[in-house]
Amino acid sequence: MSASGLRSRSGLVKLLPYAFILPPMIYLMVFMFWPLSRQMYMSLTNTRIVNPNRGRFIGLGNYERLIEDPAFYVSLKATLVYTVLTVIIGVALGVVAALAIDRPFKGRAVARAILLFGWAVPGVAASLIWLWMYNERSGVFNRITELLGLGRFSWLTSTDYALGSVLAVTVWQVAPFVMLVVLAALQSVPQEVREAARIDGADGISTFRAVTLPHIRPSIQLAALLVAVWSIRRFDIIYLLTGGGPLGSTSTLVVKLRQTAFEGHELGMASAYGAVGLALALMVAAIHYTAEQRRMKRMSR
Amino acid sequence: MPALTFNKVSKTFGDHTVINAFNADIHDGEFLVLLGPSGCGKSTLLRMIAGLSDITSGDLLFDGSVANDWEPKKRGVAFVFQTYALYPHMTVRENIAFPLVMDAFRKWYHLPIVNIVARHRLMKRADIAERTLGIARQLELEPLLDRRPASLSGGQRQRVALARALVRNPDLYLLDEPLSNLDAKLRTQMRSEISALHHKVGKTFVYVTHDQVEAMTMATRIIVMNKGIVQQVDTPDEIYDHPANTFVARFVGSPPMNLIPASVSNDALQLSGKLPVDHAAPLPSRRHMTFGVRPEKLTLHPAGEGRLPAQVAVVERLGAETVIGCRLMTGEENNDQRLLEHDLVFVRVSGNPKVRIGELCSLDYQAGDVLWFDIDSGDRIFPGQE
Repeated sequence: MSASGLRSRSGLVKLLPYAFILPPMIYLMVFMFWPLSRQMYMSLTNTRIVNPNRGRFIGLGNYERLIEDPAFYVSLKATLVYTVLTVIIGVALGVVAALAIDRPFKGRAVARAILLFGWAVPGVAASLIWLWMYNERSGVFNRITELLGLGRFSWLTSTDYALGSVLAVTVWQVAPFVMLVVLAALQSVPQEVREAARIDGADGISTFRAVTLPHIRPSIQLAALLVAVWSIRRFDIIYLLTGGGPLGSTSTLVVKLRQTAFEGHELGMASAYGAVGLALALMVAAIHYTAEQRRMKRMSR
Repeated sequence: MPALTFNKVSKTFGDHTVINAFNADIHDGEFLVLLGPSGCGKSTLLRMIAGLSDITSGDLLFDGSVANDWEPKKRGVAFVFQTYALYPHMTVRENIAFPLVMDAFRKWYHLPIVNIVARHRLMKRADIAERTLGIARQLELEPLLDRRPASLSGGQRQRVALARALVRNPDLYLLDEPLSNLDAKLRTQMRSEISALHHKVGKTFVYVTHDQVEAMTMATRIIVMNKGIVQQVDTPDEIYDHPANTFVARFVGSPPMNLIPASVSNDALQLSGKLPVDHAAPLPSRRHMTFGVRPEKLTLHPAGEGRLPAQVAVVERLGAETVIGCRLMTGEENNDQRLLEHDLVFVRVSGNPKVRIGELCSLDYQAGDVLWFDIDSGDRIFPGQE
């Protein structure tokens, strides 16, 4: 082969990686970054749903209204409480389930399948199942509480219980996922290191702390990040169960966004809600990234 | 200090018997090596001593008391794992101090927050800190104390594992192929360091290896195992000079002992079926057996001078000595079209003699250096004592 042929071939080889990332890049540009920047721009306009292309640029007007609106703080608080509690309870239950199922025992495969069930059911189906169970008149929960002599509860329509009821469904869906991730990590804990801890006189809890927990911590952290981000943007369960009510006690940013856009007809304002949600999710990701970097740095010392 | 006794100890996994009725005594202060090929049950045996594996049947005695169900902690043993099994997220200091911290640990330290404070304070406690530092100094680990295992070399990790074993000053050290993950040069160095360590601490060491060189150089006594059965228990010299059977003869020594099928008819010895040899010493009183002689007991001569005519097939020059693999000339070699060389007879000569592959030569031996083995069972036989 001639020298110029070789050169043009090596030029092609250099271009090849770009050729491979081009299709996903185009896809992301068209379906993600373009709509995202449109939304960001829209949050700076007074676009209304009746005439989406006739919005006027109003600068930070929407955000100013947001800061002065008490309903925004209710929504923000609902989002934060919902997210934090989902992460804490969901991850804790998932880790406990993973630890319980890590040891071989009879019927382990069946137990694992049952525990995974919640994750396998689609969100909408799960919400409908739970909606029936929460039903004030015929739901199974009120049957039980009546049998126990506690009377009936308005699970989804009382400001005291609504968030808790939504949380219960969310945790039921999220914990199996956490379990799966943590279980994978648990099964790669080196057996010899556990045995070394036993020889060194560590009891069960100390072995867990010294060997198992450090090994699965990155996986727990990753699961927590994903659960947090999903909680910030979760729509199906909340909307189907309570629609954001009662009195906004479960109206997270995403639910509020839908309400503002399609009931209040204010697309510009809804976009501002979306921007806040995005900022929140990015903040969580940044925290995870920083923690991960610090851990890597510490481990390599 | 414990003297260990194995009394018909067996281990089975399902239908598979790993160790079958193992009997042995481990004396106080000795360096005992369990030697055998992979999968012969030697690591399982070590794990039984440590209390990491259950004993299926039989008794393991520590100083005369049955210890089958003792927790590892109660046995007072230290274990060095093949993969070192260091705690990856702890510093070298925390790794070494971990057994001491665990000794001083109280149940209520498990409470949240208390745990962090307690561990922090235990690490700083004068006796623990000093002992950790002392051991680290002895093993030249002091500059590495605040590093983590991931940033250490193989040899350094090995020393941290040893330090963690030493720090509690146990009576019994169990080492499971601790050198197999090191490169050849480091292995030689660590071998002498572990030997020196044994002399200094004067405690009992039980060392598992498949490397006969490690066994020969370090052991005061060797147990050779194969397929869960003890083949021979003796000092390295005895095992080398007087192997109990062909397995031991072949496993110990590099190159291994030459084992040549032999037959006797009309009081005349024939090797490899066809080659008559004037043996000039008493022969076993049976027709077929195995003739064994160590490579260094054979001598190399020009063709025609020795009793065994041969042809050079392989020459390995090691500098100080040369190992020459020869084919015995039984009169059938012209039919032999195989590419691979089997049944070579190895001879070890000092220096660097001028021999070429394909050259004709001859070998000779002293009748007193020959060992005889049963052709079927492989057991050693003694001419005149049968």
